[in-house]
Amino acid sequence: MSKKTVASVLVAGGGIAGMQAALDLANSGFYVYLVERSPSIGGTMSQLDKTFPTNDCAM
Amino acid sequence: MSEGFEPKIVAFACNWCAYSAADLAGVSRFQYPPNMRIIRVMCSGRVNPNFILKAFESGADGVLVAG
Amino acid sequence: MEKCIACGACSEKCPQKVSNEYDAGLNKRKSIYVKYAQAVPLKYSIDSDTCIFFKKGKCKACEKLCPAGAVNFEDKARELTVNVGAVIIAPGCEVFDPVTYDVYGYGKSPNIVTSLEFERILAATGPFGGHLVRPSDHKEPQKVAWIQCVGSRDIHAGSQPYCSGVCCTYAIKEAIIAKEHQKGGLDTAIFYIDLRTYGKDFERYYNRAVDSKVRFVKSKIAGIVTDPTTQNQVIHYIDEAGRRVEETFDMVVLSVGFKVSQEAVSLAERLGVDLDQYSLAKTSDFQSVKTSRPGIFVCGSFQAPKDIPHSVIEASATAAEVESVLAQSRGSLVKTKEVPVEKDVRGEDPRIGVFVCCCGTNIAGFLDVPLVVEYAQTLPGVVFADKNLFSCSQDTQEKMTDIIREKGLNRVVVAACTPRTHEPLFQETVLNANINKYLFEMANIRNQCSWVHSNDKDAATQKAKDLVRMAVSRVSLLEPLYDPEISMNHAAMIIGGGLSGITAAINLAEQGFHAYLIEKADVLGGNALKIHKSWQGEDVQQRLAEMIGIAGSHKNISVLTSTELKKVDGFVGNFKSTVETNGAEQVIEHGVAIIATGALESKPDQYLYGTEPNVLTGLEMDSRFNDKGFSAKGIKSAVFIQCVGSRIKERPYCSKVCCTQSVRNALKLKELNPDMDVFIVYRDMRTYGLREALYREARAKGVIFIRYDFEKDLVVDKDNGNIRVSFTNYALQRRMEIKPDLLLLATGIIPIRENPMASLFKVQVNDDGFFVEAHAKLRPVEFATEGILVAGLAHCPKPIDESIEQAKAAASKASALLSKEKITVEGVVSRVDEAYCVGCGRCEEACPFNAISLETRENGEKISHVREALCKGCGSCAAVCPTGAASVFHFDDREVLCMVKTAFE
Repeated sequence: MSKKTVASVLVAGGGIAGMQAALDLANSGFYVYLVERSPSIGGTMSQLDKTFPTNDCAM
Repeated sequence: MSEGFEPKIVAFACNWCAYSAADLAGVSRFQYPPNMRIIRVMCSGRVNPNFILKAFESGADGVLVAG
Repeated sequence: MEKCIACGACSEKCPQKVSNEYDAGLNKRKSIYVKYAQAVPLKYSIDSDTCIFFKKGKCKACEKLCPAGAVNFEDKARELTVNVGAVIIAPGCEVFDPVTYDVYGYGKSPNIVTSLEFERILAATGPFGGHLVRPSDHKEPQKVAWIQCVGSRDIHAGSQPYCSGVCCTYAIKEAIIAKEHQKGGLDTAIFYIDLRTYGKDFERYYNRAVDSKVRFVKSKIAGIVTDPTTQNQVIHYIDEAGRRVEETFDMVVLSVGFKVSQEAVSLAERLGVDLDQYSLAKTSDFQSVKTSRPGIFVCGSFQAPKDIPHSVIEASATAAEVESVLAQSRGSLVKTKEVPVEKDVRGEDPRIGVFVCCCGTNIAGFLDVPLVVEYAQTLPGVVFADKNLFSCSQDTQEKMTDIIREKGLNRVVVAACTPRTHEPLFQETVLNANINKYLFEMANIRNQCSWVHSNDKDAATQKAKDLVRMAVSRVSLLEPLYDPEISMNHAAMIIGGGLSGITAAINLAEQGFHAYLIEKADVLGGNALKIHKSWQGEDVQQRLAEMIGIAGSHKNISVLTSTELKKVDGFVGNFKSTVETNGAEQVIEHGVAIIATGALESKPDQYLYGTEPNVLTGLEMDSRFNDKGFSAKGIKSAVFIQCVGSRIKERPYCSKVCCTQSVRNALKLKELNPDMDVFIVYRDMRTYGLREALYREARAKGVIFIRYDFEKDLVVDKDNGNIRVSFTNYALQRRMEIKPDLLLLATGIIPIRENPMASLFKVQVNDDGFFVEAHAKLRPVEFATEGILVAGLAHCPKPIDESIEQAKAAASKASALLSKEKITVEGVVSRVDEAYCVGCGRCEEACPFNAISLETRENGEKISHVREALCKGCGSCAAVCPTGAASVFHFDDREVLCMVKTAFE
């Protein structure tokens, strides 16, 4: 590959998967645009009360 | 115990759980009596028995270690 | 948006109430709102679809009330163009809307709710404040039922044929939690088809539910009818024996599955990404995060239905893919900040500045801020005190920096909200004024004072004064600290040369890092060498050979076969490991380590295994299929027995892969010899997620599935030279006998006993013998000790696609470390004063992070030593130290006790 790549990434979706991908990329030296439709990130996981099988608080 | 007795409470709260729970109580606007003083520590494991004795010595009526 | 201080005044006064989608429509929110209290960003926004101003052209109550001038009705949606090197799509899924189906009665009674609505009912932040009540009359229910597979495993129009993969375990969770809510003994029943608790520790969770008397009813639901007077629900169902049964419940929870959203489909279409028959993103087993379009990757439930840890793993896997594609430009767009030079203030008398925040009216509205300021000015060491309207706003930050410089302050207290969210911001303010960031303290007079004592202004003011006094006494004792930096060796060591290890090595090599791939056997490949096909039918041997070829020839990979790890020294960034290859030792230096040591297929000591040549395990069957000479012509009948040695008392976990493997192999036998009678004798068919399609196909092609009663004997013996399998049919409760030519035992996966990695790296294994990750949900590939990662079967049983994903995830976590020249660790760490240390070792025992170890000095005395890189500053060592030798920077005894002493006047 001789063409220079662009060191930024667009992540569409701010749920748990999108947030984790964005965090990993940012920690690894890439610029990330995390795009979410609703006013805040968190996705479905933020609506859960507890999570299995540890009964940890989802928040 | 007389009726007007207001205990003074010192609370040692773990930064990661109990302290943030106290913050959440605020966000939720829960009301509780104003006679507790929270001291933030990085882990409730930091609290050694001496801290608790010192709290009583300094006039506390109760000590809460939460984490 | 920058101006919003999230005080909530706008929302409180907004006259427009609308259905709250966050609480699954169970209550109302305002048109100007935040989704939930912990939302990020914590900024109110106007929902223009319902806002009165946007609909009728007047109102703007929020604009008038906003103390920060943050409401802007002119704001418009804008289109932005960004130039990126790769795209990751993670749009997630919706839940199935059960209103489509009459049979579940959803919408006919408020007491029939979806599982997501039930989550909100249980949540402390939910519509009923965490009290478990029925929506119809707010009374506590006595009997709650869960109906599984609502909208999943259902081929009717509107439903999904796949298994959603999460509902069985979440229903168990909801039942357990509901029981905890209702102290009076809530009766809970889960109506299911197959109980699919296949994940790590899920089977234990299921057993726990059984022990706490959650009822599990294998059934087919015929209908749910609401009693209009009581609002109770009568569930009509057919039990396993085919009897019609009905039972009444106060409340019914519908365990709804995943459904692709229209938005996700249209996003994929706009991006030109191919979808599969379920409208999920199309992927393959070996490239499970790559979409059909190069440069676009997918993760989360839009890839396939999955739970949280799997989503997290997959997300990191997409990151690893992107990191390897864009490796050459890494770091070119990252902004680095200039760090201001710090003034040395050691030895100076404290010159403390106190800033008391009004937070608009959030603090000033409930306590007397000027009085607190006045009081602060009288405290020892305080040379400046004033109030700020909003301490966190940009202009105030600059003002504070100027004041610190002008007044020559050397320590700062901000009395405002919570340090948990705002300490880093103010530490930066202090640093910008050339003061060490640790010479700063916050007094939490909002979250823990004005907001919780809003009815008693005098008491709140007094408490705020006390909190400021405590903070001032502490800040005057604080010492400057410097975050230690540790250097990073850019190589990774991967222990285990199976599919996971090879995958991690290749990804890291493509990212430009060196990987040492250590394998005990004389060839790479591990268990995958025996597997015939992945679940979607990809040729495992062909793919594996390609990967071994890449690993063997890549300049960044050193493959060390017939090699064992003997000794590990050091810590993240600086490991020195001794390995032995055929008797020769060498030391390898590396920055991170990935443990991918795999697991084994269990070999049974029952069911004629080992004595009868036609009794095989799953992998042995796979190996036969790999053998080109294999013929199934002479085999007239075959029986698969599931859960041999799995889900038993001694091994209470599900091996996850065996159901799918048996179904796939049953199909293969049918393909080779369509006349063969093939039986699968099972407990619960766990063809989870999209694998359900295989189960359906197998039934369609005539594979016969029989559920056996696990509590009753399953016997395999010989009868006139034939293999005979006899067991109790669960539905009929009658003994059955089959005499197959071929008997396949689905024996499950067992960990490597006493895996030396556990002691070499000081990492934990669970009761089953698999490694324990740092956090079951959010850190599924990391260990609590930094720089050590886990992937593949060593972590828990999982199929090929998930092992590959986890290996990539581990590579992504590794690259976050390896890509740095140095890593900074927190300055708040422990120290041991050698003069006082008696070498008792209590600190070493107390440390949860393996950061303290006893070392022997030349004179033979033992002394404890802190490895700052591993220390998290929890202070457990200081708490147990009998001599006071161990203490924590920033939280030493004096720094804590001064607050105790000044807590009450």
